[in-house]
Amino acid sequence: MTSIAYEDAAHLLRRMGLGGSPAEIEDMIPRGLEGAVDFLLNYEQSDNREMEELLRRSFDFSDPFDFAKFNRGELLRWWFTRMTYTRRPFEEKMTLFWHNHFATSASKTGDLLIYNQNLTLRRYALDRFDNLLLKVAQDPAMLLWLDGVTNVRGRPNENFARELQELFTMGITDVVTGEANYTEEDVKEIARAFTGWVFFHPRNDPNPFNYQFVVNQPEHDNTTKAIYSGTQWARTGNLDGTDVIEIICARRATARYLVRKLFEFFVYPLEATAADNAIINKFADVYLTRDHSIKELVRVIFSSDEFFSPRARFALVKSPVEIIVSSIRMLGARYNPGASAREGATNNILAAFSIFLGQELFNPPDVAGWKLNLGWINTSTLLNRFTYANLLAINRSRDPNAVGLSLSQEQLRGFAKKNSKKTVKKLLSILGPLDVGAEMVGALRTYLESDDHGNSIGFTIDDLTLDKKVRGLIHLIMCLSEFQLN
Amino acid sequence: MVTVGVVVPRLWVSDARGEQSQFTPGRKLVVIQLAGGNDGFNTVVPYTDPRYHSLRPTLAFRDTELKTSNGSSTIISNQYGLHPAMAEIKDLYDQGRVAIVLGVGYPNPNLSHFLSMDIWHTADISGVGSRGWLGKYADVALLGQSNLAAASIGSLELPKSFGADKFVVPNIINFSFYNFIADPAHPGDYNNQINTFNAGASRALAAGSLIGAINNTAFESVKGAQQLQRSINSYRSTIAYPANNPLAAGLQMVAQLMTTVPEASLLYVQLGGFDNHSDQIGNRGNDRSNKRVGDHATLLRWFSEAVNLFHQDLTEHGLADDVVMMQWSEFGRRPGENASFGTDHGTAAPIFVIGNPVRGGFYGEQPSLAASDLDLAGNVKFKVDFREVYATLLEKWLGADSRVILGAQYPNVGFLD
Repeated sequence: MTSIAYEDAAHLLRRMGLGGSPAEIEDMIPRGLEGAVDFLLNYEQSDNREMEELLRRSFDFSDPFDFAKFNRGELLRWWFTRMTYTRRPFEEKMTLFWHNHFATSASKTGDLLIYNQNLTLRRYALDRFDNLLLKVAQDPAMLLWLDGVTNVRGRPNENFARELQELFTMGITDVVTGEANYTEEDVKEIARAFTGWVFFHPRNDPNPFNYQFVVNQPEHDNTTKAIYSGTQWARTGNLDGTDVIEIICARRATARYLVRKLFEFFVYPLEATAADNAIINKFADVYLTRDHSIKELVRVIFSSDEFFSPRARFALVKSPVEIIVSSIRMLGARYNPGASAREGATNNILAAFSIFLGQELFNPPDVAGWKLNLGWINTSTLLNRFTYANLLAINRSRDPNAVGLSLSQEQLRGFAKKNSKKTVKKLLSILGPLDVGAEMVGALRTYLESDDHGNSIGFTIDDLTLDKKVRGLIHLIMCLSEFQLN
Repeated sequence: MVTVGVVVPRLWVSDARGEQSQFTPGRKLVVIQLAGGNDGFNTVVPYTDPRYHSLRPTLAFRDTELKTSNGSSTIISNQYGLHPAMAEIKDLYDQGRVAIVLGVGYPNPNLSHFLSMDIWHTADISGVGSRGWLGKYADVALLGQSNLAAASIGSLELPKSFGADKFVVPNIINFSFYNFIADPAHPGDYNNQINTFNAGASRALAAGSLIGAINNTAFESVKGAQQLQRSINSYRSTIAYPANNPLAAGLQMVAQLMTTVPEASLLYVQLGGFDNHSDQIGNRGNDRSNKRVGDHATLLRWFSEAVNLFHQDLTEHGLADDVVMMQWSEFGRRPGENASFGTDHGTAAPIFVIGNPVRGGFYGEQPSLAASDLDLAGNVKFKVDFREVYATLLEKWLGADSRVILGAQYPNVGFLD
């Protein structure tokens, strides 16, 4: 067993999950490196009944055509409630990854089909990549989103065929060699292979969510297609979409593209150097030799030296979802989503802020998904991060059953230590652990010890100090550039 | 170097590398991005070209169909008419305030939205550039000025056009949230919080690092927000911008910023939804072939209406002579329609440059639709490099040395004196 330190466990929980409380981080340490990775990876073994029970109480998705109970806001509230309460954080993190990878917007698919897609992404999140891709390609949301339903024999629509190759599998050019992976002719031929792919809802089926995929034979082009001509991947024959997906998923270009995407999402951004290309090739071999298993690939990535290297530490920028959910989980703040929409008050502040911070789940900016890292950062989204930090820090509620977000005086008392230095260090540890340097620790201590006129009056733990200064300290730490990193 | 006339005083600004450029105070540029690939052939309609009609049996507008909802013609020459949803642009054209540059594109066109957008944003044909053309301009001409000299308005993401090395270009989604907010229960603590925040944000963190970039943005964002909050609420206007037009909302914010923060001179707004692979025309599910309605008509109506209201607002504030608008899109669409009442990714397309300072009329050249002139994908060949349009704006309007920004000298398209 390879042992891990507190910082390693916190790093693992921030990346595989959505951040942890000190107790959750401590719980990882005795498992060792492999044990902790497996614990987070084999999430189906974690008891999630508490969250399931909360979801049952808080949502009513029995009738997707009852707009009061089932709408975009409810879907967002549902996902944020899951992420905040789940004991299976890696399930949520992988679903976020695939939502970004197969970026589909409810603005075109509608709410019912985007919800179905989310369930599909969850179900196959760690499956063979071929199978996940096939299930996503046959899922109604994608068939609508990239115009598959209008892609018919004789008059193909290229939208899906293009993005399948450019964004979902290989990229325009090989991420290592830079060679072109396909031609415009391949886009046209592959579009023909997917003709006639449609979905339907079986008549008399009582389950309104039960859409099914079918190939509408009269609209399917059964003539010969020639793809990747002149390359080692050349194939000619009466190919259909399933054949094409299998062919593409076997290509090394796909292995490399997928590895880079996963690695850059979970570990650190790569550069076009021989050393970094070697990293891509190393993990691409894992994909190719382990039957395209996503689960085996990510297991190797999270157990790797690269993942625990200094280069990986705080090398990513937290996404809006990570800012919002991880701060709640780290601080142990309380979020009560409220009752189901028809029965009482609900609270959707997390989803609302995620939008202000630049990430509206179920509505990515385009089919390429969100731009990560510095793509999240501009003057507005940063100011909105600071505003969220303030909101989280100052939400006071005496009523333990109040709907919404809150951080109680009792919790603040737990953060306050006997002097200003220990208090600053305690909160920097909880919200990271963050290393901000001695000078910044000093500035934060000065803040804690200053009265409204800027005079130093020292630090004593009383109700006013807790309510003003400890809340203010949480706000200010969450405004630090170090906190924006993951 | 091509320079502007001497009537306007110039300010010379040097950047750290000693590159010099000019900044012409008072002159403002508004860039309007139509994202998704606007269908040029149904925007500036070549209604007399028989090939246009044969390639688009369903989508093509006949001369009799180039009429606005109140029946007035949108035909602007014996070859071209504007989409019937663009009544206001037609009026501005008639007033000589609209330049239409035909056939704008670039060599070896890329049909990927993302690469093609990057190419336009960076003016780098390889598509791998990281700095944007407006960001490069800001780095040489705006450094040292107010943080609000340039801004992207109303969009969640800062467009790559504004990718800069030094100047932090603000991205303003909404004015009321654009502020540093602390606990209203303890207003006396606000200054302590701002001071502590600034202590963190003014630290010299490693230049070029992730954290250094974030910290620099943090510092500039709060400084800019404080300036903005001092000024922005003095905006008054009689122009009623419709609530259901997202581009109008963005351009109203541009007007509000320009009229209350005099430094604001380089502004950027976006309207998405132009990737009309399907349902470009017609009502979904009902009358699928009515060309006067549909996704593309709605988008162009928004564009036309918003540009006109913005122009009126500028006129009311005495700023209309100071503002040039440039519209662009990452590519046009294929001349041949697809089976879904839509069009697939294309290449060259016309773009609009609008404003009182603009010399209205046609520029460039319409690409031929003859079968022998189309490429393998069925797309047209470009006639005007988009960098010629950029160069014209940089030199003739902003008074910058376009070679510093574009890396080469491009011909003047001619729509500015």
